[in-house]
Amino acid sequence: MTLQQIYFGYFATMMTIISLLVVSRKNPVHSVLWMLVLFVHMAGLYLFLNAEFLAAVQIIVYAGAIMVLFLFVIMLLNLRKEEKEFRLQKQWPVSAVTAVLFLVVLVSILGKITVLPELGEYSIDMINAQGSLMTIGNVLYTKYLLPFEIASVLLLVAIVGAVVLAKKRIE
Amino acid sequence: MDLPITITLMDIRAIVPELTLICVGLIIMLLDLVVKKKDLVALAGIAGTVLALFGTYKLYGVTDTQFVFSNMFVLDGYANFFKVIFYINLILTICISIKYMEIEKSSFGEYYALLLFATSGMMIMASAADLIVLYLGLELMALSTYILTGLMRKQPRSNEAAIKYFFLGAFSSAFLLYGISLTYGMTGTTNIKEIAFAISTLGIADNPIMYLGLIFMIVAFSFKVALAPFHMWAPDVYEGAPTSITAFMSVGPKAAGFAVMGRILMGAFGDMQAQWVTVLIPLAVLTMATGSIIALSQTNIKRMLAYSSIAHAGYILLGIIAGTPEGLTASVNYLMIYTFMNIGAFAIVIMLRSKGFQGENLDDYKGLAKSHPVAAALMLIFMFSLAGIPPTAGFIGKFYVFMELIGSGYTPLAIIAIIFSAISAFFYLRIVVYMYMKDAEQEIVLTQSPTMNIALAVTSVMVLVLGIFPSFLLYFVRYSIMGY
Amino acid sequence: MLKYILIPLLPLLSFIINILFGRNYIKNRAHWIAVPAILGSFVLAVSACIEVLNGKVIDINVYSWIVSGSFNVSVGILIDQLTAVMLMVVTSIGSLIFIYSVGYMHGDKGYYRFFAYLSLFIFSMLTLVMANNFLIMYLGWEAVGLCSYFLIGFWFHKKSAGDAGKKAFIVNRFGDFGFGLGVILIFLTFGSLNYMEVFGAAGGIVGQTITLLGYKVDLITLICLLLFCGAMGKSAQFPFHVWLPDAMEGPTPVSALIHAATMVTAGVFMVARCNTLFSYSQTAMNTVAIVGGFTAIFAATIALVQNDIKRVIAYSTVSQLGYMFLALGVGAYSAGVFHLYTHAFFKALLFLGSGSVIHALHHAKQDDEQNMQVMGGLKKHMPITYWVFILATLSITGIPFLSGFFSKDEILWQTFQAGDLGKFLWFLGALAALLTAFYSWRLIYLTFHGEYRGDTECESRIHESPLVITIPLMLLAVGAVAAGWVGIPPVFLEHGDKIGYFLAPVLGHPEGHGTHAQEYFVIASSIFVAIAGWVIAYIMYIKNPGLPEKLFSAFRPVHKVLFNKYYIDEFYDKTIVQPVLKASDKIILAFDVNVIEGVVNGVPSLIGVFSKGLRKIQTGLLSNYAAVMAIGVLCVVGYMFFMR
Repeated sequence: MTLQQIYFGYFATMMTIISLLVVSRKNPVHSVLWMLVLFVHMAGLYLFLNAEFLAAVQIIVYAGAIMVLFLFVIMLLNLRKEEKEFRLQKQWPVSAVTAVLFLVVLVSILGKITVLPELGEYSIDMINAQGSLMTIGNVLYTKYLLPFEIASVLLLVAIVGAVVLAKKRIE
Repeated sequence: MDLPITITLMDIRAIVPELTLICVGLIIMLLDLVVKKKDLVALAGIAGTVLALFGTYKLYGVTDTQFVFSNMFVLDGYANFFKVIFYINLILTICISIKYMEIEKSSFGEYYALLLFATSGMMIMASAADLIVLYLGLELMALSTYILTGLMRKQPRSNEAAIKYFFLGAFSSAFLLYGISLTYGMTGTTNIKEIAFAISTLGIADNPIMYLGLIFMIVAFSFKVALAPFHMWAPDVYEGAPTSITAFMSVGPKAAGFAVMGRILMGAFGDMQAQWVTVLIPLAVLTMATGSIIALSQTNIKRMLAYSSIAHAGYILLGIIAGTPEGLTASVNYLMIYTFMNIGAFAIVIMLRSKGFQGENLDDYKGLAKSHPVAAALMLIFMFSLAGIPPTAGFIGKFYVFMELIGSGYTPLAIIAIIFSAISAFFYLRIVVYMYMKDAEQEIVLTQSPTMNIALAVTSVMVLVLGIFPSFLLYFVRYSIMGY
Repeated sequence: MLKYILIPLLPLLSFIINILFGRNYIKNRAHWIAVPAILGSFVLAVSACIEVLNGKVIDINVYSWIVSGSFNVSVGILIDQLTAVMLMVVTSIGSLIFIYSVGYMHGDKGYYRFFAYLSLFIFSMLTLVMANNFLIMYLGWEAVGLCSYFLIGFWFHKKSAGDAGKKAFIVNRFGDFGFGLGVILIFLTFGSLNYMEVFGAAGGIVGQTITLLGYKVDLITLICLLLFCGAMGKSAQFPFHVWLPDAMEGPTPVSALIHAATMVTAGVFMVARCNTLFSYSQTAMNTVAIVGGFTAIFAATIALVQNDIKRVIAYSTVSQLGYMFLALGVGAYSAGVFHLYTHAFFKALLFLGSGSVIHALHHAKQDDEQNMQVMGGLKKHMPITYWVFILATLSITGIPFLSGFFSKDEILWQTFQAGDLGKFLWFLGALAALLTAFYSWRLIYLTFHGEYRGDTECESRIHESPLVITIPLMLLAVGAVAAGWVGIPPVFLEHGDKIGYFLAPVLGHPEGHGTHAQEYFVIASSIFVAIAGWVIAYIMYIKNPGLPEKLFSAFRPVHKVLFNKYYIDEFYDKTIVQPVLKASDKIILAFDVNVIEGVVNGVPSLIGVFSKGLRKIQTGLLSNYAAVMAIGVLCVVGYMFFMR
């Protein structure tokens, strides 16, 4: 096993375990905190893929901003009752069996996969030469300008939606 | 290093219709602040749509197939035709909404803005030449429809529907993204044309990872068009959402889903046709079965129409299974016809809703022919069309799909489809029987408005005209798909 | 091309406008739309006929309805000589009936509805006759049936009217089923539904057989018999005749329209249209002739004793239709169509005349307005109606040089020439003519002669009908007298049989091998029976008014059987209707209980786990849905990798 494989193996396994912890905690605050850990591990995977900018953004935006928002909301909602209940649905054995079967299927086809050489124009060397931030900025405002703008409309809709659904209306 | 400026006037021109809709959506939200009468806001929405339609008309046929924004966005007959479906869907939905949303006390300006945003999302989907754009368009559409579903905040079932739709939608988006990343990992690109090129040059059509990517994408699209077993959200959401939104999303997102399905499967995964056909056939059979059989037991008309729309998704899928341009033509033709007949049926459902009366039970249709003969006659036309009885358009839609299916050698599948089609005639005709042969249990007051009447006139006339003169639409579809 | 399409489209337009706006906007002004529409059709039809007279045959495909590979169904119109005659009959008589209805239906609550249905009816009939392929004809055929249901049951608050409408519809369904099968068989055999293609290829399948339930059946005979089955239903031939007399429950203009100009002639038209097919099958031809001949005399005997004025005319229609089929069956297609054409005039006249009588009595507030036994002496109150009635009766009974004489004589003469079976059928026909003369004059004498037998107070209120009713009557009277002059037999006038030569390109022109002497004999015997029937009626109802009673009591059983129409309705009721009703009640009950309930309760339980909490608002549901999706994905993936 190479160092790379060990590195990936650790993060991937941990992410799976932590995800399970996130959904199975009784206390929502605990769930959120586990999610924080999950995000950190995810950032680790980005690093593994030579995407240090994305790793940083992952930590700053998700772990920094979004998680705090989550925590605020949970604390505001005062979820005392929820804490005492079992967090998994009654159907969890079915779901578990499905998940395991899925794993079996995926593992069983592992052998059939042919690994292809590296593809695409943005090779690691090129990104290293240019810098991750530079590359992202470059493609985001040229090649991916349209998706970028669509995303802005998407965010607008999300804001509008939040307002429409939450605003008090005078009848 | 200098940044290449790649945007030309050509690029901007290509997205003018989408831009128009988004801008009008923004204007509507501002207008909402100053205008008290929401009818005007709605009319602004219709005006904007007409403007966008005009834009699409101007772009139609000007270029054969044009890739813009660094091959992110494609402008071809196929996309434009779907855009026409979306415009029609949008205009008709606004027409049937105005009075209804007032009765539901949810007539907000944002309602119309969100309809426009959702439609622009669908248009982006139809024009997407890149999986990233496709995904963003899909999310734009989906997010807007989630909000629209939950717009009746005072009604628990509306909220419930929105939550369900949102969570399950997110679940399906996850599948889509997983599929996209697997495909990207194998082919090194997210561009649809380049994926097709990569599959054929790299010879990876039999790679299990490609299978997985393909399946996951199909799953996500199946969710959007409500194919069984990914349809579970549909009945609850259709029932809970405001009826006008039910009409809107039983057509729009479905058409958009099929648009991308056609483009991705036949464009990107054309070399893997054998694989995706094997997946789609059981899905189609299961979908038609679920839709036709479960609809029989429904007592709520919105729920019944939800299952009916599931069944119709199955029929439309058959054209894609046929796997030929003619099959796709038949499917697209069906979608256009389905737009008219389904919105027409929902318009009648909306008419029955009046202050203090839901009008969603099948029993409410008893004796409608006596008290409101015109409404009953129109409903009869729509039900006949949905059931596929000539000379309505529904028959033509089904006929061509089945013929193409048989032409491609899937005769047993066509026979199964015809059997389910016959079963489904049952629950459509039950409404007709209720309307014409039973006595009314209570006085029904119809909610009428000028725009509603226009929508009904347009849909019913189109259902009949397309049934009697089907060739001109078919020619139009063929012409649009030709370049594709 | 537009002007041909407009012929059926104008009535359709009138229907659409009236049905959409009639209730709220048009109301009592419906005729301002309907009448111009049908008159427009009439004018266009005349111009089309003139083109046909000049030797042009219009056969155009308006457009292709469905094109898919080799499968092609087009909507097209064919106006040849046969269609031209039908067009003239339908639009001219239709126009007069429309005008008549303006007066007759005046003040009815469903005035706009009546004209809407009437227009739709004319549209359907025009579609039927103008079609250039079997599919369009079938559509028109079905639409005519549907419209007749609406029109016969027009006064749906009257139970008998509703029942009669249903009866007409259901009896017709039996025939239509056969017709539908015939059309399907034609498509399977010829691969096309276009008349020209089918008739062109018909010669090629002579002698072919198919195996049906273990028997070898001649293909073309089977097709013809199936088609004829439809014709029997529409044209009310025995044993499907039962709906027609009951159809009298509709408003009188409807009766006239159904009986004279449109619906019942559809069957005759269809057989004439398919003459190429029928000519290849002697069996089918003989069947047509025998059914026609039998119906002619069978219906005439029933008409002898009926008391309802419209019912007598209805049975007379059935009988006359029998004549037409008799002609078709012996290969004298043009004679059949000729009779259809003349019959349309005098029968419409009889119906509208009786309608005028009923209208007058209705306004005189007599209760039993259709019973001839309480009429009498109306001659002095309603002179116009009386005189047109006389003309129609002279025509139908075959008094020389009126329309009915020429056409009926042509049929009898052609039948006489058609071998031994022909001689026998001629005898039946001549006998039926005797009976026709008798019951027709009986109707006149009971209604118009003698003393008024109803309430005297009523009598003072009886007036002639208004002009809008009497003018169509007078116009029809002209037709009843003169319409037949286009078909004068050669023995009277060289080249007199203009209609026969006109129709010859479509229907052929049978060259008789009978001698002039024989022809004179047939004509003389026709005239003899016509006058004999008249004289008998005169003796029984004018000279000796007590005689009928004596005769009835002397032949009570016979009278009873005839009066009850051979108990055929009762027979059908006992053997078919009741059992079917009972069975269907049971089936529906069983279906409701088992199938519907089963589906209602069963299907959700099939889905089992997922459906149980379907209506409850709980998050469990959501995760169930997600689980189903996940399982779905698993199944698809598993299927893809392992099952394929």
